[in-house]
Amino acid sequence: MFCEKAHVLIKELSRNRDALPPYNTDLLNEINTEVKQLITQNQEDAQISEDSRVMNHASYLPTVKIRHAAIKRNIRCILAYHYNRLKCLRNMRWQFGSILPPDVKSNLSQSEIEWFSKYSSNLVQYMRSIGDEGINLAVDLKPPKSLYIEVRCLTDYGQFELNDGSVLLLKENSRHYLPRSECEELIRQGVLEHVV
Amino acid sequence: MDLELEDLENTIQDDDDDNVQLTSAELIEMMEEVWVNEKFAPEILPHKQEVVDCVLGQISYMEKNLETLPSTDFKKGIHQLEVDRIRFLVASYLRHRLEKIETYVLHILKEEEQRGEREEELYLTEAEQQFAIKYKQDLEQHFENATNFYPGLPFEDWKSHIVAPNMNSFVFLKAKTAVEGVVIDPSRDDDEVADLTVGSQMILSYNSVTDLVKKGDVQLI
Repeated sequence: MFCEKAHVLIKELSRNRDALPPYNTDLLNEINTEVKQLITQNQEDAQISEDSRVMNHASYLPTVKIRHAAIKRNIRCILAYHYNRLKCLRNMRWQFGSILPPDVKSNLSQSEIEWFSKYSSNLVQYMRSIGDEGINLAVDLKPPKSLYIEVRCLTDYGQFELNDGSVLLLKENSRHYLPRSECEELIRQGVLEHVV
Repeated sequence: MDLELEDLENTIQDDDDDNVQLTSAELIEMMEEVWVNEKFAPEILPHKQEVVDCVLGQISYMEKNLETLPSTDFKKGIHQLEVDRIRFLVASYLRHRLEKIETYVLHILKEEEQRGEREEELYLTEAEQQFAIKYKQDLEQHFENATNFYPGLPFEDWKSHIVAPNMNSFVFLKAKTAVEGVVIDPSRDDDEVADLTVGSQMILSYNSVTDLVKKGDVQLI
């Protein structure tokens, strides 16, 4: 059946809503081959029906049309796959900042990595242009409720310097009472955990 | 919240000496209104760069003032939190706009172009415009990479199905001025109209109040 592989691709997408599975090069290649085959077959049939029209034979038009629809559907699925991955990647940019965790990065295609760095620089450029000295939109993602929050350290992060110059040591399982604005990024990166 | 704002004004004098006289409380109120509108409107609204710039100026002014306070001062924490809240307001507003730009990039750029041709006011700020154009280019590049395995594919097809905001979605709104004869559902013939009195709250389809929102006659809630 036509487009079966494309369907598998979309299913994979909907199974992993908020995660990025490895870029499915093999399946995409198979779909690409299918599209190429369909195009070649179409061209041949179009040629035959062109010739046969002169001889008043039945045309292959319906077959060609169905194949064409299949090609279009395949391409749509491919684009949907790529677009939704980009959306996921975009959310990660907001979550982790401009540097991706290595396990995510290994799941991306070359083109996606390029897109990510372009998006990142585009975003930074935009954020710099707001106001006089720019504003970092990636912080303050949630409305602030209190100035200080209690956090627990999940990994051995090492030394962390606060805005007022004091340095503290973030060790695993240690608890701290920190200004929310300064540890928000670390929380999103999974270094700290907000103790409620 | 109000108490704290008043408090703020005692320590921080207004620095708005422009022709429009605004106290910082009024300014923040305006920012809040702009933010809520942007948050609930399905489409992107005209930019409010003046307001954003004013608020940002206010923030940096307040922060400078805060630095002069000793860290043992009890009031400092409260003020710092207020500054953080205001900053969240601005950042969230700009984030909402960016999100809309990203989702409806083709639609928005097309509309902007038309607005430019009609010499109307543009909805995007210059920086947002640049961002949108670059975002579109990168997206196209990525799509092309994904489909360049066979030259001449009908892959430009996706551009004919542009993702556009749903203008018929329903919004909650509150009238700030009295408006009479708002046509509900302009696509139907039976001309059902609604009159808005000051302070009344309604649920209406967004496309029947688009202009009112942009003019500031109603406030989305």
